[in-house]
Amino acid sequence: MSSNHSTTGEQTKRHRTEGPQKHIVAFIMSLALTIIAFAAVAAGEINTTFTYIILVGMAILQVFVQMAFWMHMKDRGHLFPIIAIFAGVVIVFTMVIMALYWVWW
Amino acid sequence: MSAHDHAEGLPHQPETATLEGRNKILGFWIFLGAETVLFGTLFSAYLALRHNVMDGPHPSELFQLPMVFAATMILLTSSLTSVFAVQALHTHRKNAMVGWLIVTILLGLGFLGLEIYEFSEYVHEGHGFTTSAFSSSFYTLVGFHGAHVAFGILWIGLLILQIYKKGLTTVTAPKIYVSAIYWHFIDVVWVFIFTVVYLMGKVG
Repeated sequence: MSSNHSTTGEQTKRHRTEGPQKHIVAFIMSLALTIIAFAAVAAGEINTTFTYIILVGMAILQVFVQMAFWMHMKDRGHLFPIIAIFAGVVIVFTMVIMALYWVWW
Repeated sequence: MSAHDHAEGLPHQPETATLEGRNKILGFWIFLGAETVLFGTLFSAYLALRHNVMDGPHPSELFQLPMVFAATMILLTSSLTSVFAVQALHTHRKNAMVGWLIVTILLGLGFLGLEIYEFSEYVHEGHGFTTSAFSSSFYTLVGFHGAHVAFGILWIGLLILQIYKKGLTTVTAPKIYVSAIYWHFIDVVWVFIFTVVYLMGKVG
């Protein structure tokens, strides 16, 4: 609850007046990250390895933005959600590496 | 912003007001952890098999970036409207909440329509489900995501009906909150799909 909106003297109602600003900021950030990723591919003049790095970087940033703001994971009392998703991600990484190793090496 | 609207006597953030509501949300997060693993298996299968195109079209000649971009914008906007619905839920503005949920559903339907059109185009271009290991893993991964969108539309649609029947209470509020989390999760999965499947497929 650290959004910097102007309270009109009603400190107890502070959290209730939370506006849509931060979600619009998250939306614009997601939009920008998406456009950068598409532009990097559409331009087509950057070398392949560097394009891959841009794509993966933009995707990871965007997922962090969306999870923090839209899925409220930055808010208080979200330790369990973070543990649940993190556990899932660890298994996913193991599986992706395993599948690639299994098929290609 | 009717911040002082206490008409229904609901607490702030009614979705976490009861133990049942909090448990529902916690359980749903554990489900989402399992969903992450589900999509992870599909992604790993796709990543391992995406170069095995047999006689079918190669990803870079198949995918059309403008259509994928349009689908991405639709889903991203629907994620924003669903967070607006949750904000309306927090301030107990029932009509605004239902309005945002309806917008979310309509955008979801638009996304789904675009995906069905896309798949039918691919089949016409000789990219059927059994064409190659690439096509099978592609349809399984993207199709599973599409099925999640379809389920989300159905779910949120039924919740709107329930809100009309039972109103906004500490029982119905967690359901709305959880469905919004689910919708954001679908959007997060789509971020990886457009990156890994479409953009990386276009790069080669």
